[in-house]
Formats: sequence, structure tokens, C-alpha cells
Amino acid sequence: MTRWPDRLITLLLLALLSWGGWVVVHWLLHGADWSVVSANLPLFAVGSYPSDQRWRPLLWISTCVVLVVLTLTAPRGAGWRRALPPLWIAMAPLGLWLLAGGLGLLPVGTRHWGGLTLTLLLTAGSGLLALPLGVLLALGRRSDLPVLRWSSTAYIELMRAVPLIAVLFFGQLLIPLFLPPGLEINRVLRAVLAFALFAAAYIAEDVRGGLQAIPPTQREAASVLGLSPLQTLQLVVLPQALRVALPSLTNQAVGLLQNTSLMAILGLVELLGISRSLLANPAFIGRYLEVYLWLAAVYWLACTAMALLARHLEVQLDPVRSNR
Amino acid sequence: MTVAIRATDLVKSYTPGVRALDRVSLEVSSGEVLVVMGPSGSGKSTLIRTFNGLERLDGGALDVLGVRLDSTHAEPQVRAIRRRVGMVFQQFNLFPHLSILENISLAPVKVQKRPKAEVEQRALELLEQMGIQEQAEKYPAQLSGGQQQRVAIARALALDPEVMLFDEPTSALDPERVKEVLDAMRQLASGGMTMVVVTHEIGFARDVADRVMFMDQGQVVETSDPVTFFSGAREERSRRFLSQMV
Repeated sequence: MTRWPDRLITLLLLALLSWGGWVVVHWLLHGADWSVVSANLPLFAVGSYPSDQRWRPLLWISTCVVLVVLTLTAPRGAGWRRALPPLWIAMAPLGLWLLAGGLGLLPVGTRHWGGLTLTLLLTAGSGLLALPLGVLLALGRRSDLPVLRWSSTAYIELMRAVPLIAVLFFGQLLIPLFLPPGLEINRVLRAVLAFALFAAAYIAEDVRGGLQAIPPTQREAASVLGLSPLQTLQLVVLPQALRVALPSLTNQAVGLLQNTSLMAILGLVELLGISRSLLANPAFIGRYLEVYLWLAAVYWLACTAMALLARHLEVQLDPVRSNR
Repeated sequence: MTVAIRATDLVKSYTPGVRALDRVSLEVSSGEVLVVMGPSGSGKSTLIRTFNGLERLDGGALDVLGVRLDSTHAEPQVRAIRRRVGMVFQQFNLFPHLSILENISLAPVKVQKRPKAEVEQRALELLEQMGIQEQAEKYPAQLSGGQQQRVAIARALALDPEVMLFDEPTSALDPERVKEVLDAMRQLASGGMTMVVVTHEIGFARDVADRVMFMDQGQVVETSDPVTFFSGAREERSRRFLSQMV
């Protein structure tokens, strides 16, 4: 038998929860005005992309969605599953081509890029650049060559000591200084570069953790078989280390996606940026709650898809489990 | 008989003043099985690890299959040796992310650049020889210790080595798994393989060894044929060691 104070607390909590739930549901159904979302769906999806060319970003996003579904539902042993990894890698260049144009498509300047398309492209682009850079930094930090080791360590520690927003501002201002005069790269590319340079430092530490988890006897066994140091790294050490680092790398990927919202401050109209500019429109004034709830839902959906993909990858790469 | 390994005054020191190897000299003829015994810390593992360059010598010189290893040898010399000298470790050291078949064919394909189909055919033959052909598609974690060690032997044999080094191959195994590994090694020895085996297995040493070498504190105490060694070792130190063994 529970004592009466426990029962009282339970009843009070239940009352509080149902009252809160009712308020939320009532607001969602009657108080909220979702026209700010429904009227602007294209804007959320592709930003101010020219309306006659909208099919291009929309095609890219749909391809991404189809690929996610295919990857998660592919039956074990299906031959076409082998095609999935190269398809995934092709998504970033494909998105770049579809959005920027050229090669038969009408060129569209980056200032017209926006919305979810830009968010996903920023994530994919900076992630693809940051991963190899992070692996190289992790290897550099464990190198026997002092100069390489010290410079990698210095880079990682420096990047981790600076807030991302500062790196992004530096990126906008500093990267042009390193380029020869006359060569100018646009804001989106500068943002991707700064983002990748920042993320690489964190990825490097995750990969270093993975490398440390591989016993030195593995290298020994590989070298006894006559494998060169490079082959040992490529065939024996890295495949195992990246597998160990995968859960932390997933964390980084989800963080990467969410951090792209900081680029709104730099004036890029990705998901958050486009929402802020919408809220500045007198027609939708005061519709903060609706817009930000909608945003939260979109981010949640994207991050959940990423987490599911990562989990899927973990299972695929675990040899014993996949063989059971 | 040709000499496979000739060691002259080998010296190896990890900490200054303490010699893990203290002027060790020996010869291994090709086709011979040499068993190295001794208490832990006697330098027997260090010795066998100098034979394929896993440990660099501080003094003395080795001639392994005609290649010279000493304190100044270069990396290419070591690589030349490793392709011709197989090694099996106490802890198996299989690659956990590769299947059994991939474990065995990795080096022949990547190092010797042999065609994959031919290598896999040979790998299956070796697995059959080891009595575990049905495990080819599995992963190391799914095998017992004894099976893993036999895979490790097959992996070394896949490079067609002229000499096989065994560093306490049964010490990490459950007692009931020791025999299957020793049987595979016996089979190898009867096929004429040149072998250097660091082990505590007296039965194996007695049956298979051509000579038994006893080491203590980095030095060779005595080298005898197994009958002499186990029935009445010449040196007091060897007799004390043998009397403590079960």
C-alpha cells in the first residue's frame, strides 16, 4: 500500500500534466496560425531560389530522402546495396552542381541558395571536408615526427579553444587574405571551409580515441606479414579505429547539422536564417512560436534520420553481428 | 645441411645495464626444429623477435636466410626477411574486422601481389590442413582460441615462408585447446619446415624438437638433444627449471 502523501503527489502531478497537455494541444489546434508555415513551405525548402529553377534543389532533397529510405530498408544480401556508399559520396557534388548550375544548367548565384537545401549542403560539404582532415590531424598528433606532432596538437588545441562563431567570423574575414588578389571565393564556400576547419579538430580527437583503442600488437602482426606502414594503416589500423570512433563521429555529425544554424548570423539564409527573415515580414509578425516549433520539428527530423543512418552503419560494420 | 639462421653474440638491452640478450650465439639448420625453453624474463621471446626484426639488436649480428640483421640494418632488409619468415604470436593477433579467409589472403594479395582467386584457393587448402575449413567465412571473435591460433598459423603459411617462428603459441589457450594447435605444429614439422618454437610444452619438445635450447637471464645455458635434456640436463640451472615444471 502506498502512503497518502505519495498518492497526493501522484494526483497533483497528473493534474498538472493533463492541464499542461491540454493547453498545448488547444494552442496547437486553435490558437496557432500555421499559415506562416504552410504559405512559405517553398521558402523553407529552397530559400529565394528562382521559382522556375526550384525543381533543382527539390530534386536534390528528394534524392537525399530516397537514399535515406533505401539505405535503411535495403534487405540484407541485396546486390544493389554495394552501390549505396558511392551514391552517398556523390550526394555532395551532385547537390553542388544542381544548385550552382553550369554544365548545361542555368547558373544560380549562392546568394539565392537557402532554406533546408542550404542547411543540408553546408552539413554535407563541411562534413566531407572535415573527416579526411580530422583523420590526418589525428595521425599527425600520434606521429613520430616532432614537427608534425607539435603542429597537429597546436592546431587541434587552438581550434578547440576558440568558439565556433569566432572561427566563422574569422573565416569570412581571414580566408580572403590568404588568397591571391583577384581570386574571390563566395560566402557559402568560406563558411563551409571555416566550418570544416573547426569540425576537423573535434573529429581528430574522436579518431585519436579510436586509434588508441587498437592494440599495438595489430600493427606488429601486420608488419610481420610484410605489410608496409601505409598498408598497415589503411588495411588494418584505420578500419578498426574508425569503427571504434563511429559513435562519437555521429555526435559530431549531428552537432555539425545543428551548428549550421550559426551561419544565420553571417547572413546566410539557411533554415534559421530564412525563418528570421520571414519573421521580419509584417505579414507574419509575432508568429515566433509557430515558426520556431516548425523549425524544431524539421531539425529533429533531419537529426533523427542521421542518427538512424549512423546506427545502421554501426550494425553494418560490426562483422560479428552482421554475420549472425 | 644449410644454415637458416646464424646468430653471433646477440646483445639486446631495454634498460641500460640490464641485458635481455647477453651475447647469444646459435645456429638453426634448415629443416630443423629448435625449441627454446626457459623461465619468464629469460630473453627467449626477445631472441625469437630479433629473427624477423621486430626487435633491433644492440650488438652482434644475425644471418637469416642470407640476409644480415644488426644494430644498423635498414628497413628494406627487414622487409626482405619478413616475407620469408612466418611468425605466430601468443595472443594470435588476428585482424578482428576481417573474415578468416580475408585474414589469410590479405598479405599474399597485398604484399606478394598474387591473384586473389589463387590465394583464396590456397587459403582454403591451408584451412583444411588445419582442420577448420568450415570457418572460412566467420570472423575471429566467433572462433575458439585454438581455432584462432590455427588460423594464425595458416595466415603465416599463406606467404610460403621458409622459416616459422612460434612465440609461446599455446600459452594463452585453454588446456583442452592446446592439443589441436600442437598437432598442427607437429604436422608442419614432419613436413620439413624449419621451426623455432618458444614453448613450455615438454611433450611437444620431447617428441618434435631436434634440439632444445635452455636460456636464463639473457644467456644460453645449454643446448642439447631432447633425450639428453629431459633425462639428465647437463647444467644445474636447467635441472632446477625442469624439476619445477609439472
